[in-house]
Amino acid sequence: MPQVKALSVQFSPQGIWIPEIDLWLDPRHPVANAWFSHAHSDHATGRPAEVWATPRTLELYRLRWPEMPDTAQTLHPMDFGVVTAFRGATITAWPAGHIVGAAQICVEKDGYRVVYTGDLKLKPPICGQITTVVTCDRLIVESTFGLPIYHFLDQAEARRRILQFAQETLADGATPVFLGYPLGRGQEIAHVLSTGGIPTSVHGAMHKFLPIYEAEGYAFPGVEAYHSKVDRHRALVVVPGMRDYLEAKGDVRVAYVSGWAALANARTRSNAQELIPYSDHADFSELLDLVAATGAGQIDIVHGYAEPFARILRDRGFNAQAAVSQMARQEEEGSA
Amino acid sequence: MSFDQLAQTCERVAATSSRNRKVALLGAYFGELDEANLVRAVRFLTGQPLPGDKLSLGHAALRGALIEATGWDLETVRLCYREVGDTGETVGLLLHAATKNLPLTLEQAEQEYLRIFAARRTADRVARLAEAYLRYRPLTVKYFVKVITGNLRIGLQERLVEEAVAAATGHTAEQLRTANHKVGRLCDVARAAYRQELDAVKARIFHPMEFMLAKPIEQAPEIDDASDWLVEDKYDGIRSQVHAGGGQVKIFSRGLEEVTAAFPEVSAAFALLPVDIAIDGELLAFRDGRALNFTVLQQRLQRKTISAEMLAGIPVIFMAYDLLHLDGEATPGLPIEDRRALLARYLPEAAMLSPQKPLESVAAIDQEFDAARARGNEGLLLKKRGSLYEPGKRGNTWLKVKRVFATLDVVITAAEQGHGRRATMLSDYTFGVRDGDRFVNVGKAYSGLTDDEIRQLTRVLRGLTQEKYGRVMLVKPEVVLEVAFDGIQQSPRHKSGFALRFPRILRWRQDKLAAEIDTLEAVRALYTASLK
Repeated sequence: MPQVKALSVQFSPQGIWIPEIDLWLDPRHPVANAWFSHAHSDHATGRPAEVWATPRTLELYRLRWPEMPDTAQTLHPMDFGVVTAFRGATITAWPAGHIVGAAQICVEKDGYRVVYTGDLKLKPPICGQITTVVTCDRLIVESTFGLPIYHFLDQAEARRRILQFAQETLADGATPVFLGYPLGRGQEIAHVLSTGGIPTSVHGAMHKFLPIYEAEGYAFPGVEAYHSKVDRHRALVVVPGMRDYLEAKGDVRVAYVSGWAALANARTRSNAQELIPYSDHADFSELLDLVAATGAGQIDIVHGYAEPFARILRDRGFNAQAAVSQMARQEEEGSA
Repeated sequence: MSFDQLAQTCERVAATSSRNRKVALLGAYFGELDEANLVRAVRFLTGQPLPGDKLSLGHAALRGALIEATGWDLETVRLCYREVGDTGETVGLLLHAATKNLPLTLEQAEQEYLRIFAARRTADRVARLAEAYLRYRPLTVKYFVKVITGNLRIGLQERLVEEAVAAATGHTAEQLRTANHKVGRLCDVARAAYRQELDAVKARIFHPMEFMLAKPIEQAPEIDDASDWLVEDKYDGIRSQVHAGGGQVKIFSRGLEEVTAAFPEVSAAFALLPVDIAIDGELLAFRDGRALNFTVLQQRLQRKTISAEMLAGIPVIFMAYDLLHLDGEATPGLPIEDRRALLARYLPEAAMLSPQKPLESVAAIDQEFDAARARGNEGLLLKKRGSLYEPGKRGNTWLKVKRVFATLDVVITAAEQGHGRRATMLSDYTFGVRDGDRFVNVGKAYSGLTDDEIRQLTRVLRGLTQEKYGRVMLVKPEVVLEVAFDGIQQSPRHKSGFALRFPRILRWRQDKLAAEIDTLEAVRALYTASLK
C-alpha cells in the first residue's frame, strides 16, 4: 500500500481545526474560515470572515445572524455532492438528515479523506435530505445518543404517534401541546399535524422558519402563528419553556417529541405525559451502522457520550477515541 | 389474559397524569380477568412476584442476568442504568431487538418467577433470569423485572390499584380500602372482591401482614418542618411481627416466614395477653439495657433448637414499634399516635416499647443520630405525625437516616476472578489492615471500581501474585484501597477477628504505601466505639 499523507485534525473547546487547510469545523470562537454543518445555534455561531455551508444552512444562519454593514463576511454556498477545491484539498457537502440544510463535510487531500458528520441521523427524516454514507479514512462523528438504551421511532411511526395523540386529545376536548425546539423539530411536528388534517398553531420562534421549509417543499396548510390564547380545537407546537404557562390556561395535554423521550425519566424532566422517541439524531444502532459503513480506520467522537461510545467501538474492534469528553447534558437538551 | 397486556396497560398508565384515567385504564384491564388472574395481576402490581414467598432478587442479580443475556459489559450496563434510573427499564431497553418476543401470560409469568425461585444458588437464579429475559418482548420483560424490584415507577400508588379493583368488581373504593386495612394484602382482598365476599373479610391474626418500610435518606435535606416528625432509634436486629391470641403466639420475620421456635422467651412473654394482637417490631439481643451486636443474634438464628444455655447467654427481647391488629380490628388505618397509645396500653411487660419522641429541629437530627449510635443502634427512623401504617410500602412517611460509618485505607491481600464479562479479570478483593509487621484481613469487596480500573489493577495484581488456589490468588500486600462501610462486627472467619459490614471501594489509593494504611488497632477502636 502506498503511504498516504494523512490530514491532521486538532480538537479543542473552540472547535475542530484542520491545520493544513486552516479550516475550522463548527467553531465556537472567531476564526477566518469556518464550515457550518447546520444552522443550530451551537454549531453555526459568531461571524467568521468566510463561511462554507449549504445554501439552506446559510439562509437559516442569516435569519439569526443578519448581515452587519461594518463586518465583512463572505458566505460560500455549497450544494450537496459538488466537489470544491480548497487550498490544495477538496471539500464536499453531503446530506446529514438532521434538519433542513444539515450536511457532513468530506475533506480530501492526496486520496486521504476526513469526514465530519456534524449532527446527523441515518433514518430518513420527516423534513430534510436522507443522509449519504461517505466512505472515508477518518470519521469525526457525534454521539449524542451513543448508548445502547436509545432506540428511536422511524418517521412513519412517529407521524402515526403524533397524529394519534393530537386526535385523541382533541376528541377528549383538551388541547394537544407539542414541545419542540424552534428549528427542526417544531417544523417537522407542524408539517405532520397540518398535512394530517389537524388545525395547528406554532410558536413565533418556529413560525419564522416556515418559509425556508416551504421552499424546500414541505407544506404547512393552515398553520398559524400562536397568539397567547389556548384554542380548544387546535394543536399547539411550542418551545419547552411555555408549558407551565399553557397549563395554567386550560385543559392541555403535553407530548414531548425527542430522543430523550426514549427514557421514562423524560416525563419528569419535560413534564410531558406522552413521550414520542423520535429524534433528528442517530440512535445507538444508527451510529454503529454509520461507523461500520464508512469503513473509517480512525474514528473521533466529538459530542455526547464520547468516552463510553468510543470504548464500545473499541470493544468491537474499531480504532476509536473520544475527542472531547462528555459534554454537559444541559447543553444538548435544547437540540435533540 | 396476558402479562404483555399488563405491561402495555402500565405504559398507558404512566403516560397520563390524570388519576381517573389511570384508574379507568387499569379497571378496564382488570375487568377482563378471571379470579386467578385478577389476584395475580394485583399481586404483581403490588410488587409480589410469588404467591407465598419473597423472591428476594437484588439489583445486582437483575443486572447480572442482563449482562449474561446481552453480553454487555458491567461498565456499560452501569452507565446505562445511571441514565435510566430504573433497573427494569434498563433491562427492557438493552434487550431491544435481542429477544424471541414470545407471548407471556400472567400464569406463565408466575411460573417463571417460581422457576427462578426454585434455584438455590444465586448463579443459577441469574442464569434462569437471563433465559427469561431472552424469551419475551422487551416491554414485557421491563415490567417482569419491575415486579421483582417492587417499584413500578408509573405513578400508580396502591390506592389507585384498590380503586381499579373496586371499579372492576362493582364495589366502592371505600369498601375496598376498609377491607384492605383489615387484611393488609391487596391481592387477597381482590379475590374476596371478585367473589363478592368483601363483607366477609375479617381482620385476622396469625397471617403476617406486609411490613411497612422506611425510605433511606442521607442526611436531612428532605425534611423542612421538624414539627411534623417523630424520631426513634433504628435497631440492628431482626425485623419481625408478633401475633398473639388465645394463648397462642407466632413470630414472623421480614420474609413473612415463621421463626417462633427460635425465640421461646419472646413467645412466652406474649402468651398470657388477654387480647388478640399483632405487633410490628424488632427482635434484639439485649443485655444491661442495650442492644448487642447483630452477630450475637445471628448465632441464635442458626440453631435448630435453643438450649437453656443459649437462652441465658443471649437474651432476646422484642422491641415493639407499631400496632397492626387489636381484638378483631385491623389498626393500620389509625394514625400513628393512636396506634402507639394502644400499643403502650396492651404491650406485655416483658417486651419493650421503642422510645419515640418529637423531633426538635432539623439540625437535631445529627445529634440524635450520634446518640442512637452511642446507644449501639444502627441509626435513626423518622416517622411522620398522623401517618397511617402502609403495609409493604416504602413511602415518604417513614424515613431512615443512614450514614457511612467510617472509611479505612486497606491493602489487597488476595484477589479473585469475577464472573461474566469480568471472568478474565481479578475483580473481587480480600483486604486487610496492618497489625505490626503483618496484615490481617477484615473484609472482601467487589464493587466501586470501573472496568478500566479493574483491568489495570488486574495487571498489577498478577505481577504481585505469590500463590494461587483455584480462582483465588494471594498477592503481595502492596495495593492500597480506600473502603467505606456501614459497621464492624466480630468475625471468627478473619484472623483480625473483625469484619466490615457492606464494604465498598471508594478509590484505589495509588498515592499510598501499604505501610501507611490503617491498623488493626484503629479497627478495634472503631468497633469499641460502635458498642458505646
